[in-house]
Formats: sequence, structure tokens, C-alpha cells
Amino acid sequence: MLLELSEEHKEHLAFLPQVDSAVVAEFGRIAVEFLRRGANPKIYEGAARKLNVSSDTVQHGVEGLTYLLTESSKLMLYLDNRKEIRTILSELAPSLPSYHNLEWRLDVQLASRSLRQQIKPAVTIKLHLNQNGDHNTKVLQTDPATLLHLVQQLEQALEEMKTNHCRRVVRNIK
Amino acid sequence: MELSESVQKGFQMLADPRSFDSNAFTLLLRAAFQSLLDAQADEAVLAAATYILEAGKHRADKSTLSTYLEDCKFDRERIELFCTEYQNNKNSLEILLGSIGRSLPHITDVSWRLEYQIKTNQLHRMYRPAYLVTLSVQNTDSPSYPEISFSCSMEQLQDLVGKLKDASKSLERATQL
Repeated sequence: MLLELSEEHKEHLAFLPQVDSAVVAEFGRIAVEFLRRGANPKIYEGAARKLNVSSDTVQHGVEGLTYLLTESSKLMLYLDNRKEIRTILSELAPSLPSYHNLEWRLDVQLASRSLRQQIKPAVTIKLHLNQNGDHNTKVLQTDPATLLHLVQQLEQALEEMKTNHCRRVVRNIK
Repeated sequence: MELSESVQKGFQMLADPRSFDSNAFTLLLRAAFQSLLDAQADEAVLAAATYILEAGKHRADKSTLSTYLEDCKFDRERIELFCTEYQNNKNSLEILLGSIGRSLPHITDVSWRLEYQIKTNQLHRMYRPAYLVTLSVQNTDSPSYPEISFSCSMEQLQDLVGKLKDASKSLERATQL
């Protein structure tokens, strides 16, 4: 992100590089005071006399610097929160629902209309997903054998991240 | 002769020795003629099937079956035959009956994909690995097989797997009680 300054703005700040650093520092101080307490014409007049420029130039200089300071602080805010902002923006990309949470419950079916005296264990799962800010849940069920299969498959998926192949890609494409 | 597609398909199954061996073929053929020509036979078959379903539903044991068959004036030999046939088919019958009924969508399988995201049109550049997980689901309500897909990061997948493992361990402990 770059700061964009208008032509007029650049003109107002144009004299700063031409004066020595002590002057710039003084201007900086006045700009901060301006932010705190508003304009003070007397100070501008004093500075104008010392520098041998018009007080308009001084005023513009101060205002220009002030604008620069506020824009910079916005940039600072962005820089500090960059990671989070980018994460949020990346989630705005065309996407699928994303995982949010999973709740589970063990059930044993004891009977049904078509068969009595059963002992049929099952796992009931509530899958929480997010999509475009909407939270939706899916209630699903599975049997013990499939549950073991799911765990095994997904553990393999996790292992894949640790392979040399994946490590190389992540390391080299940045 | 006009036969619907489903009837044609069913009939063609009789030709397949893998579906019905020659013994079964003969029996089926005879049963077909009998159920058409012999109203009584048809009724008897239907009654037997209904009784078998009820017995299966209530998990009838041999003595229950014998008692009922005796009451129906079956002779010893027929009672024995019936009970033997019932015993041979009991497990399959129970599996069939147990599978009937409404239930929640049932997860049957999972597939996954690991990708490394490089760019989207929203951000200039981004580099992050992401998983795409797809659950295959079977629905009792409809014959369809919808899929549930979602994306997740490595941390999220670890969370998911951790929770499934907890469920699995819990199940193991419960079955040992």
C-alpha cells in the first residue's frame, strides 16, 4: 500500500527537503501540536519570519505534514494488522464452506419398527461449517468401522504435510 | 408382447447362472407358474413370508416357532424343515430388517486433497496450504448420494481428527463395558 499525495499536497511539502533537519523537526513538532490543539497563527508567523518565507507557506507545510502523519498512522495500523487483514481477505476468495467445529455423540440403537432387541452402536456428528459469514451445521451419523476409516484417512492427509515434497513446495514458493 | 424395461431386466436375470444356478432356476420357474395357476399356493407363500418377517422382527427363538407351527397343525417333519430353513437364513433376515428405517444421513467415506494456494483475485499474493475434505453421504430419504465438502487449514484438520479420535476411543471403551 502506498501513500498517495495530491500535486497540491506535494507542493506544500516541497520546501521541506530544502531546509535543514532541525527545521523539519520543528515543523514536525508544530504539526503534532496542530493535531492536538488546532491551528496557532502566532507560531506560524514566528516560523515564517525565521525562515524568511510567507506564513502561508508555513501553514501549508504544517497542514501537509499533519496529513502525512495521519495517513502514516493509518498505514501503521494496516501494517500491524496485516496478517489478520490478509487472512480475512483470503477467505473472501471464491470458496467452499470452511470447517468451524465438530461435536460428537455416541448412540446405541436398541430397537426399530422393523427389528427389536438390537445393539447397534453409532456415532452422531454435528459438523459446524462457515460460508460467506453464514454459520451452518450438518447432522450426520456413522458406524464404528467407518469412523476408524475416517480417522485413518485424515491422519494420512495430515502426514502428507510433513513429507519432503510438501516441505519443498512450501519452502520454495513464497 | 410389450414388457416394461424393469420387467425385462428382471426376466433377463433368470438367464444369468451367476444370479441363479440351475437348481434355483427350476424352483423359481415352478414357483412362478404355481403362484399364477394356484391361488392357494400364492396365498400360502405370502403368508409364510409374512410370518417369517414377523418372527424375524421379534427375534423369535426355535421354541416360539415350534409352538406356533404346532398350533397351525404342522407335523413334526415340517416343523423341523421350517426351523432349519429359518436358522439358515436368520442372520441375513436380521441384517435386512435392521437396515430398514429412517436414519440420519450416513457417512460412508471420505476423500481429501491438499493444495497450496498461490493467488486469488482479491489479494496480490498469498501462499498457504489448505485441505479440501469431501464426505460421501448416504441418505435414507432419497436415493441420492450427496457429498459434503469443506476446506480447512492444517490446524483445523488436526482439530477435526482429534475429535474423531476421541469419539473412537470413547466407543472402544463403551464396547468393553
